[in-house]
Amino acid sequence: MGIGAICLVAVGVAHGEPAAPDPHELIEAAIDHQRSATSYSELRMLIHRPDWQRTLSIVAWTRGLSDALIRFTAPAKDAGNAVLQLDEKMWTYTPKLNRVIRLPFSMMSQDWVGSDLSYNDLSRNDNVLQHYRLAVVDIGEADGLAAYTIEAVPFDSAPVVWGKEDWVVRDDYITLSQTFYDQDLKPLKRMETLEIGEMGGRIVGTRMRMSKLDEDDHYTEMEFIDMDFDLPLEDRLFTTFTLQSGSVPTSGRDG
Amino acid sequence: MVLPLKLLFQLSVRNIFRHKRRNGMLLAAIVVAVGAVVCTSSLIRGFQYDMADAAVANLTGHVKILAPGYLDDPNIGKSFELAETWRPDVADEELAGWAARVRVPAVIMSERGTRGVQFVGIDPAQEHISFIGSVAVEGEHLADASDGRILVGRALAEQLETGAGRRLVIITQGHDGLNRESGFRIAGLYDAEGTGLEKMFVFTGVDTLQKMVGADVYTEISIRLRRDPVLFQLKASLVEFFTGLDVLNWQELEPQAAAMFVFADSAFFIWYFIMMGALVFGLVNTLVTSVMERVRELGMLRALGMRSRGVVAQVVLESSVLMLIGVAIGIATGWLAVLSMGDGIDLTQWAEGIEAFGMRGKLVPVPLADDIVLIGLMSVVLGVVASLYPALRIVRIKPLEALRR
Repeated sequence: MGIGAICLVAVGVAHGEPAAPDPHELIEAAIDHQRSATSYSELRMLIHRPDWQRTLSIVAWTRGLSDALIRFTAPAKDAGNAVLQLDEKMWTYTPKLNRVIRLPFSMMSQDWVGSDLSYNDLSRNDNVLQHYRLAVVDIGEADGLAAYTIEAVPFDSAPVVWGKEDWVVRDDYITLSQTFYDQDLKPLKRMETLEIGEMGGRIVGTRMRMSKLDEDDHYTEMEFIDMDFDLPLEDRLFTTFTLQSGSVPTSGRDG
Repeated sequence: MVLPLKLLFQLSVRNIFRHKRRNGMLLAAIVVAVGAVVCTSSLIRGFQYDMADAAVANLTGHVKILAPGYLDDPNIGKSFELAETWRPDVADEELAGWAARVRVPAVIMSERGTRGVQFVGIDPAQEHISFIGSVAVEGEHLADASDGRILVGRALAEQLETGAGRRLVIITQGHDGLNRESGFRIAGLYDAEGTGLEKMFVFTGVDTLQKMVGADVYTEISIRLRRDPVLFQLKASLVEFFTGLDVLNWQELEPQAAAMFVFADSAFFIWYFIMMGALVFGLVNTLVTSVMERVRELGMLRALGMRSRGVVAQVVLESSVLMLIGVAIGIATGWLAVLSMGDGIDLTQWAEGIEAFGMRGKLVPVPLADDIVLIGLMSVVLGVVASLYPALRIVRIKPLEALRR
């Protein structure tokens, strides 16, 4: 409280917006906005490196914050590879091996299929709500809407390696960027929303980019082609059986 | 008839001095060989003791108490409870110390890396018996058993690109089988001699780790003694006390180190026989030459009534005197060489390689009196054996034949 809070209030007033909202609610709403109770999405993932790049096609279903099934559909080499997340646990399936493998915790911080996203990035975005001290540190403007910068500093005993995270969340709960800092507070990687559009009946980020900030020209872009929210999903979708059989992709859309 | 030993001895010594250059060369060869054997044997002993010591200090101790199956599948489920008041049943003057620890496999993560490690909960006050009690620490050592920070090896910190004062995340299995993860602040970086240990062990207070795994249990008790003999007696009493648990001595826990220990014993003899074997051929050659030039002389002595065993004794004495002088100077030289190595040869440059042999960064020679006496005795025996062939050869020539040459 004190001077800092007064300044923030002053900024808020200058923009004609309500005073800084609760950062906790803001992030919770932002995560919920992108995933909702259930969601279905089709996207293209572009992995870019200085001397090569490749594109993968993906379909994904999510339920709540904890369950997700992600399946590659193209190129042929990768088609059929899939990841299942249930709470904290993750499994991968590779058709070439015809085997479901439970990912050990030690692998969760590794890169996912050679992209700039780690398995943790896929699964644990919501731990920011539990393990960090959140504070709105800046209120700016983006496309005519207020954009809140939230600084998230992990608690001392939190199972989090980062020094801090910065989230920029627009007033309509679209996450504009998320930056990860090391413990020297040097930025290491950043997820940015490059395009925002309407999809599945709501305004969401439709193109996002995760860049490694300590390496030039390393980034992974996700471009959403189709999205649907709050569709009925069968329980059997989020099972290792479905992960392996790959039977749902055609029927899942319409539930 | 008693041999005229005094006369024979005089003859032998004079014969040695008759060919100063030739025998001088031979003496030099003996000195070099014996000196080298003394020197290398103390290095081999140094290696052997260092290795055994490292094996024991490497969180092993002379005896260790483990839950059955822990060695095959080390996890917190393979643990046991320990009464607060327990202490090993050994006289104080025999006991170097003991430590109860929790040791579990864990994954450690920084912003930039992930590694698998052994996460060890210790009471720093008990750890003077292991390497972690005496390592150099950059930053702070753990304060007590309830210290909630961690101590990380320097090599591991370099891999994880982190340092003292930073936070790391550690994931391990709880007593209920579910994963536990928590952030820990690094108290300090320790510098073990050799990067293997530094990459393998991460330490924290034992109370902290018990809290993390959610059970007031230990996975091991390690006991270190001042000397070996009480080991068997202690082991027996421990087996009786800890029914249902495994009680293992260091040879069982570190079979590779124990095998190397035995191998070093034989390496000493192998080395000795290579060096001395080469020398013996030189000795035989010189003696044959010197005896064959004196065929007429020895023939005359025998014609005058000296027994053939007298002749044999003369040659054997000649060889033995030469050997004795050589061995004396050789041992002195070897001893000086060992002294000149002072407090050891610095091998830290090759730390990675020598670690495979369970050694540490410094090779300190350990000259054992037993070894040196053995080297001296065996050399003299070899001298006698080597002189038998030339002596018998000369005795086989009849005195008349000898005189006619």
